Amino acid sequence: MSEITLYNHDLDENCYRVRLMLSFLGLAHEIVAIDMVPGHEEKGPAMRALNPLGSLPILKDGDLVLYGTQAILAHLARAHDAAGVWLPLEPAIFSRVMQWTFFSATALSCAIEARRVAVFGLGGDLETLKHEARQALRIMDDHMVLRHIEGFEWFAADTPTIADLSLLPSFALSRDYGIDHDEFPALRRWLRRFRILPGFRTMPGIPDYH
Amino acid sequence: MSSEAAWVPVALSASIEPGTSAGAVVEGAELVVWRDAKGVAHVWEDRCPHRGMRMSFGFVRGDHIACLYHGWSYDTAGQCRHIPAHPDLDVPKTIKIATYAVEEAGGVIWTRLATAAQAADPLPTMGTNLPVRSLYADCSAAHALAILKQTLLPVGKGETCPGRLQVVTPHVWTLEAGALSLSIAVQLIGPQKIGLHILADEGAADLIPHLARWAQALRLALEEPVTVAEVA
Repeated sequence: MSEITLYNHDLDENCYRVRLMLSFLGLAHEIVAIDMVPGHEEKGPAMRALNPLGSLPILKDGDLVLYGTQAILAHLARAHDAAGVWLPLEPAIFSRVMQWTFFSATALSCAIEARRVAVFGLGGDLETLKHEARQALRIMDDHMVLRHIEGFEWFAADTPTIADLSLLPSFALSRDYGIDHDEFPALRRWLRRFRILPGFRTMPGIPDYH
Repeated sequence: MSSEAAWVPVALSASIEPGTSAGAVVEGAELVVWRDAKGVAHVWEDRCPHRGMRMSFGFVRGDHIACLYHGWSYDTAGQCRHIPAHPDLDVPKTIKIATYAVEEAGGVIWTRLATAAQAADPLPTMGTNLPVRSLYADCSAAHALAILKQTLLPVGKGETCPGRLQVVTPHVWTLEAGALSLSIAVQLIGPQKIGLHILADEGAADLIPHLARWAQALRLALEEPVTVAEVA
């Protein structure tokens, strides 16, 4: 049994964020499939013993049990990325990585919720969520317009970091919740570059061909 | 409505890299804009004849674009050449996607939503330009014109200057301030949706980041609720 265990649902985009990180770092791990839809297994007592919030993903790494997608990404980058490229510690870069990584947990939460409503048929005001998600994607596109003008292809550093990784699924999956890529040329460019990174993998909703 | 003879912009040339595709809407018409591996741009109806899937979701291989659903592959004339589920089939000539005339000028991809037989308007003259960005906003062209008449453009050293707006054609506007000259290729997406493909003259290289920030602020102004005074 490998040291790292991911409690996972294949269609959940936050689980995909962690699967991407594990793949980029080439880390051996065990996957425990959780019946999130329709079973709500992550909200049952066994899973709440691991994560009282009753959400996925949950990561076990040795004795450490972690929940919260961004915390898991930061942990994997600190503990298992010897080169330190996914979470650079130089203060100026680290601050930017944190800003955009938190953006994926705050401003993009409406995008994640919009997809859950659209794909899993859960209750929620899809139009309001879509409106808020579009605003967040515009902020990302505006940022990447400026980054490209400055000669950079990534959100926070001159190489991809957990900021790019944590933001990317909400854009790559935006057609799932009814937002097309037409209006976001700078994000299309960024997605194309991210897709060809060694270790990239898709999930349902992100085409294998591009 | 624009005349079908008119050249209308669908993207900045720089935004469509070789081997990629994107969707674009012109007055409600869904289009795929794609560039083949040789660098030639194409604009087609955004629909695979097989199951109606949008071709802008598809993938470019060499000088063919293929549908994401079942891999039906089309040549640069829009003719289907290969159906993976029937590899030995001589694909009927009737399986074809509607294509539109394409020209690239001034850093913009232009198309004409007319049949080949219809006479074309002359291609817009835009000179040589540096791309600033494409800006998409929820407003009408008339409202965008009203806002742009009052805009202050960055002209360097932290200074701004009122822009002089000129409507060259419904799809080409210019804004000038001092030595700065902006060209705006106007994509009418819907009654309340517009795409502004903004470019600057060659001498404005240092101003590009400032102009990108100006455009970002412009979108806020374009989408602010219209005041009663302006309506009157």
